[in-house]
Amino acid sequence: MAAADSPSAALRRDLCSRGIRLAGKMRADVVDLLEAYVEQQGLDASASVAAVEGVPLAAVERWDEQTGTQRLLENLAAYRAFRALLAQMLEEQREQLGEADAGLGRALAAVLLQVSAFAYHLEELLRLESRGIPGEEEDGPPPPPRLSLFEQKLRGLGVLRELAQWAVRSVRDLRQLAKPGPATGAAPSPAENP
Amino acid sequence: LGDPQNLKCVTHNLHKMLCTWDISSRGRHGQTDFCYTTNGLTPQVCSKTKERRIEIPVPESSITVTIKSSGTAFATKEFVIHQKDISFVPVTPHILSLMPDFPTSTLNLKWSDNGSVFPYGLDALWQIQILRKEAMEVVTQVTYYSKLIHEDVILSWNWTSDMPLECTSHYVKIRCYINATHFVGPKDWSDWSPAEVIPGKDTEPGVSGVFPLDPVVAVGSDLTFCCVHEEDQRITNMTYGSKSYTMIQLSSRSHAIRVLNASVSNSSGTNVVCRLENGLEGSVVFVGYAPDIPQNLSCETSNFLIIKCTWKPGRSSGLYGKRRTKYSLFERTSGKNVSCEVNEVNKDHACGFPVLPDQKTYDFILGVSNPIGQAQSSLLVDITQRVHPKPPEKLTVTGNNSTSIQLRWFINGSFAGIRLLCQTEISSSHSDRKLHNVSMPGQKSSAYTAQLNALHPDTKYQFRVRCSAADHFWRWSDWSRGVEQATSEA
Repeated sequence: MAAADSPSAALRRDLCSRGIRLAGKMRADVVDLLEAYVEQQGLDASASVAAVEGVPLAAVERWDEQTGTQRLLENLAAYRAFRALLAQMLEEQREQLGEADAGLGRALAAVLLQVSAFAYHLEELLRLESRGIPGEEEDGPPPPPRLSLFEQKLRGLGVLRELAQWAVRSVRDLRQLAKPGPATGAAPSPAENP
Repeated sequence: LGDPQNLKCVTHNLHKMLCTWDISSRGRHGQTDFCYTTNGLTPQVCSKTKERRIEIPVPESSITVTIKSSGTAFATKEFVIHQKDISFVPVTPHILSLMPDFPTSTLNLKWSDNGSVFPYGLDALWQIQILRKEAMEVVTQVTYYSKLIHEDVILSWNWTSDMPLECTSHYVKIRCYINATHFVGPKDWSDWSPAEVIPGKDTEPGVSGVFPLDPVVAVGSDLTFCCVHEEDQRITNMTYGSKSYTMIQLSSRSHAIRVLNASVSNSSGTNVVCRLENGLEGSVVFVGYAPDIPQNLSCETSNFLIIKCTWKPGRSSGLYGKRRTKYSLFERTSGKNVSCEVNEVNKDHACGFPVLPDQKTYDFILGVSNPIGQAQSSLLVDITQRVHPKPPEKLTVTGNNSTSIQLRWFINGSFAGIRLLCQTEISSSHSDRKLHNVSMPGQKSSAYTAQLNALHPDTKYQFRVRCSAADHFWRWSDWSRGVEQATSEA
């Protein structure tokens, strides 16, 4: 018979599963947004975009060696960065297009809302681990360099592509966290690798 | 014996001429005595020179020159030079400045016409050559005309390139020809001036990109875009929108494409993409229309507080966001200007202008502009003749008996300066709809009443009211909400 869950473990698992659903929904919306963005901006979907300054990379080395806290902290930092990047994109969208293509603006705003919600969800998980929530940089991220319109378009493409990757990674991270096992501070023993 | 020969004289300013000669044999040549007299009456003017050139005045008609060269032996030769033998070649013009205006791809050239050395009124021709690319190919040669006024005048000339100045270096040279009609000798063009250069971005180390950057242009334009890249970067292709274009090489670091008759772009612009071996460069071009002249400009007031002007914008410019078409309403009498918030998508083109104290007549100019052009419409209007009230509010019955009913309503606005005409619609199941008009002095945000007589006893009536200006009718307000009331029994 399985040992009775402690209340915090049950809460953690619940938060993780809700986080997994949120990340899954977010990913679907980001993929739709990416498609609409590529078309509306007249971009080539296969265009290779150099790493965009300020966009956190989802790819991580020795993913399986990360502790639960590291996963949460990296996820939180990433989604805070995406929140700022998406807000910047939304502002540029309004400046460049005004009321034209309001649909894309609404879709962008919806994803921004989800990213903000997911960041808050990660903070909840960190609180549960009685981990301090890293403060946000006082005056937010440094203002992005002044880009030309084409560079803005490419950056937007890079942001959305990477955000879609992060949503996948977040699902894997949260599944890892949801597993019963040692406190999140310790790395999972090799036997438990996914 | 070293005889002086081949005496030639050239004037650059019609006053002085530079004469040069040869000595027929080699041998050692010492000093030369150069003497001249213009018409045999005036005394000879002599001077010594070691050079075989000397500057002397240009004669009215002819001049007799005696050249005595000393050397191994003395040789003297006399020449008679007629004005027709003297050639006139103006001094090489000097470019004062060559200034680029990158946003408009325009070069501004300034030079001095050096007119002070010439008599008043001579016609001058200036040939200006524009060259481009590393090979300095001649792009165009233009002739510019001016008249000399015996003063040094700075002439200015603009040229707009068909490609962005950033794309490659542009060079300018100039030469001149002066039509000295009174001068009988042969006349010729001056030498070309040294070339002035506006370096392209393809000469700046570390610079790469597509030019022009994020331009706004008119539909139908022929456009040239260039991709400036590093020397070692191989360029794969350049596309405009989804179409690939044949590239023209401008220099080892610059390739261009030519897009003809550009069509309107979508709201996010048309991408011009330069694919390099390891990277992308790009620009976004917005192709749209200059604003049409606004049609059916009409202005009215509903409350003598705000004048609302409406118009038909005409064709959409295809430009959005910060490039959208902007409207402003300028009133000439007061000099007041109002910028209008217009939603470019849902097309409600209206603008509010405050009613000004003690001003009935308004001389409006609706200005329209976007990055491609501008237009305007004007309207002179007396707003007391353009009253279109809001629908009356709070219509209530304030008294009734068997044959009459008294109504009361409220209209928002300051109508103190005019008379109002209000119309009551009386409906009942027994009789046709009747209209009852009443006019009254307008007031400021006030209630108004009307007494309706000759009604049938014990009858249920429906009433609604609308109002307009009594004098100079313009438009009825919408109907108020209805109210129902029965007359009492007889």
